[in-house]
Amino acid sequence: MRSFQPKWIIYHVLVGGFVLLLLYPVVWLLMSSFKVSEQIFLTADHLIPDPFILENYVQGWKGFGGYSFGVFIKNTAVFVFITLIGHLISSALIAFGFARLKFAGRGFWFAVMIVTLMLPYEVVMIPQYIIFSQLGWLNSLKPLVVPAYFGHPFFIFLLVQFIRTIPRELDEAATIDGCNTFQIFYRIILPLITPALATAAIFSFYWTWDNLLGPVLYLNSPSKYTVSMALNMFLSNETVSNWGAMFAMSIVSLIPVFVVFFIFQRYVVEGIATSGLKS
Amino acid sequence: MNTRLRENLWGYFFIGPFVIGFLAFTIIPMIASLYFSFTQYNLFSPPSWIGFDNFVKMFTDDPRYLQSLKVTFIYVFGGVPLRLAFALLIAMVLNAASRAVGLYRTLYYLPSLIGGSVAVAIMWRNIFGDSGIVNLLLEFFGLDAIRWFGDPTAALWMLIFLSVWQFGSSMLIFLAGLKSIPVSYYEAASVDGAHFFQKFRSITLPLLSPVILFNLIMQTIAAFMTFVPAFIISKGTGGPLDGTLLYSLYLFKQGFEFFNMGYASAMAWVMLVIIGILTAVIFITSRFWVHYESEGGK
Amino acid sequence: MMKKLLFLLLGIMMIFWLAACGNGDDDTSSEPAGGDSDSSDSNDSEPAADDGEEMTLRIAWWGDQTRNDYTNEVIQMYMDQNPNVKIEAEYAGWDDYWQRLAPQAAANELPDIIQMDLSYITQYADNNQLADLTPFIGNQIDVTNIADTIVSGGQVGDGIYGFNLGVNAVGFNYNPALLEEIGVDSLPENWTWDDYMELADKTAAAGYYFDTGMQSDVFFNYYLRTHGQRLYAEDGSGLGYDDDQLFVDFFSMLQELVEKGATPTPDYLAQLAGPEDDPVVKQEGIGIWQWSNQFVGLQQVAGLPFDIHPMPGPNADDGLFLKPSMFFSITENSQHKEAAAQFIDFFVNDVEANKLILGDRGVPGSSVVKDALTSEISEAQALVFEYIEWAEQNSTPMGAPDPAGAGQIIELLDGLAEQMNYGQISPEDAAQNFRNQAQSILSQN
Repeated sequence: MRSFQPKWIIYHVLVGGFVLLLLYPVVWLLMSSFKVSEQIFLTADHLIPDPFILENYVQGWKGFGGYSFGVFIKNTAVFVFITLIGHLISSALIAFGFARLKFAGRGFWFAVMIVTLMLPYEVVMIPQYIIFSQLGWLNSLKPLVVPAYFGHPFFIFLLVQFIRTIPRELDEAATIDGCNTFQIFYRIILPLITPALATAAIFSFYWTWDNLLGPVLYLNSPSKYTVSMALNMFLSNETVSNWGAMFAMSIVSLIPVFVVFFIFQRYVVEGIATSGLKS
Repeated sequence: MNTRLRENLWGYFFIGPFVIGFLAFTIIPMIASLYFSFTQYNLFSPPSWIGFDNFVKMFTDDPRYLQSLKVTFIYVFGGVPLRLAFALLIAMVLNAASRAVGLYRTLYYLPSLIGGSVAVAIMWRNIFGDSGIVNLLLEFFGLDAIRWFGDPTAALWMLIFLSVWQFGSSMLIFLAGLKSIPVSYYEAASVDGAHFFQKFRSITLPLLSPVILFNLIMQTIAAFMTFVPAFIISKGTGGPLDGTLLYSLYLFKQGFEFFNMGYASAMAWVMLVIIGILTAVIFITSRFWVHYESEGGK
Repeated sequence: MMKKLLFLLLGIMMIFWLAACGNGDDDTSSEPAGGDSDSSDSNDSEPAADDGEEMTLRIAWWGDQTRNDYTNEVIQMYMDQNPNVKIEAEYAGWDDYWQRLAPQAAANELPDIIQMDLSYITQYADNNQLADLTPFIGNQIDVTNIADTIVSGGQVGDGIYGFNLGVNAVGFNYNPALLEEIGVDSLPENWTWDDYMELADKTAAAGYYFDTGMQSDVFFNYYLRTHGQRLYAEDGSGLGYDDDQLFVDFFSMLQELVEKGATPTPDYLAQLAGPEDDPVVKQEGIGIWQWSNQFVGLQQVAGLPFDIHPMPGPNADDGLFLKPSMFFSITENSQHKEAAAQFIDFFVNDVEANKLILGDRGVPGSSVVKDALTSEISEAQALVFEYIEWAEQNSTPMGAPDPAGAGQIIELLDGLAEQMNYGQISPEDAAQNFRNQAQSILSQN
């Protein structure tokens, strides 16, 4: 068997060992979530909690003002799901347009798209907030999810770069078969960029899950809060922060992201692209 | 319908969502912020026009601004190459094996999933604390412990290490890129007797170049705009001695702590010009090193 | 919900249409990714229709788990007693709170009642975001049991723009057991800066820290006040002291303490992760100079009995003042200012409500409430109440709150103090530097 060859043993020792080193901080975080809050900093150099307690999880899960942490996780999941769908559909369409079609103003709009990435959100935040308030969208998910359906520059650019690695002969062959432009996109290009789409899905999921500023600005009612906002409420700038509960809930909120990543990462590398279409 | 018109229609059919979204949500705020950059504006009262004063002040009368510029350049030019090299290396290592790699991929990505919450800041403070693992390791190798948070240069490098540690997103994009290089190319090269570095230079690098370009540009832009790590790790101060006062952090302070939104907007537009020039330079040089399959090998 | 379903349906139809190549030519049907992504909610942020008595108030505050929980209970209590009023709570952590408030102000979408901090009140009041409470005081808001000095804590210019929810005072929070260990039975009753330096010497010689330094803006202001001056001019147009020698004296003293080893070096302090590994908590230092509202937390973290001692003099009375820990302000765009004022009255005067609040927002101003709480509070909190009661008799009025631009001044001073502690700038140069830059920031007011 392949995995018992010496070469692979060395591989696993090196790759596995290195990942343990990289993961030390994560393990530290996990272990700290089982420590008594006041001791976390005093026993920072001991990994094993003593005493080992689950109290932080119980306390943290209770949440605030009658909303348990489950509510925040559910809110975040809805927010993430709607955003993800929007990002994928719109960015794939737009990327195909930029990568494959010739039309007047292509260079201009591509440059515009890159430029929008360079302006810090802080300075467009207030005018944008006023626009959304005029639309009556405050205290709802709309300002956060609707823009996702108009493409995200990062994903557009990512997909453009991947589409450009696909040989044009494939399009040409499909045209001869009678496919129109949309069908080329849907039947030829889309299956070939599955790895890139899976990558985009992972990023979109994670970024939205982690997004703090957006929910802070647009969600006023605690019943609508997301995980990232809830985590900040374990902190106190006047008295004592509840580190233990914050660590515990950080771990809990990591689980969905971890699971989603584990599921999607398979598609990043096992997409149809590798099945020999290219050779 | 003539071909030209049809092509244009198809083009705008596909990029339409972007154009509409841009016109609806982005262009007005952008123009507004450009206007604010020529005003004194405290967020609550109407802005008053002051011409180029903000820009003049930035370069002649604000040492903290110049400091933030310096710190940011070190962060970008120190961090981005390190991060990309690291990400590419790990991606290639993971690409070399097929078994158990799903688990490794996930584990190597884990640091990036933890992201920018306060938990990360606390964790990093402890890892680099007086009795944290980094200093224990330094002492183990006979070196002096470092007060990472007390020394401006060390603190900045600690931030850079954080960004390198969270290399997952670049790694994933590299992995996707590596997987789309047909295995047959490598097999053919092996038959010709090419060794590892030759294969890397003549197959991996050119075929991966569009993805490298993407990562390079995106990471450079993202590094310039880094805010969260600097904010949470220095507890919002940018200290010690403004050693971690990244550009975005100073911009945020000006806008929302000092209520100088006019000045903050001016800073944003200067940054846009700086990043724009850099990106343009990368794009122009990319003609010489990026290889697009769809345009025939160069 | 309908829209989402429609969207899904459209998607499915499109897939069927794409099923095979070779049929239709170009068919540019509808925008596939238009704006059809409605979120689950159609709730509007505007208050509900205001006919007669029925109304909705929005209230916002920053806080942690404890504060969020009990405040919600107080709100529930109020709604039970006033069924016509519906109160929507919007709370967040400190950073997130201010981040949200700024755009809300710019878009005229502020809640009816907002929790205000002393460092922001001038900024918001000067820009007409807050309502003057003067017409409500004595009417909706009962102040018979609240001292004038406490009510006037929210004064900006000629109006009262925030109602004081409680007060703090600075002091030395210390560990008496450790003090005894270095051979000092108790801190002198009316101690002076000289006594302080002497004690610091003694502590350093015994191998302990005396304190962890002084937050520059807070304690420099105290120092100036003991010399009959203050950090900001009353009208906020400039600095409130003329003699830079005071700056030099104060910061030289702090520098000397570091050199002696009585105060930790700045790089050591920067390395600390949080209150939990503070030298005082680890019993390597005697005490901390801080606000009284931080005392209970310190005691809780350390798990040791601590004590509070007044500030060093001479003229400690002139230096000490009662600082409003936070306010409730009513916003200018509120449609229900009177109802909001009634809620504030309930919050500061109702005894049952305050048995839930338990002084978390500072020692209450109402003497009736304070008396009612004596049996409810913890031992540590009783010490804080006691200290504040003492301070009421031994302090002077605060004067005008921090002017607009204070945030920038504080950062400037903290930055210079840091440079002095690192030995990068002399106190003389720093004094000059501070004056020039601070004047230019404040001259904009």
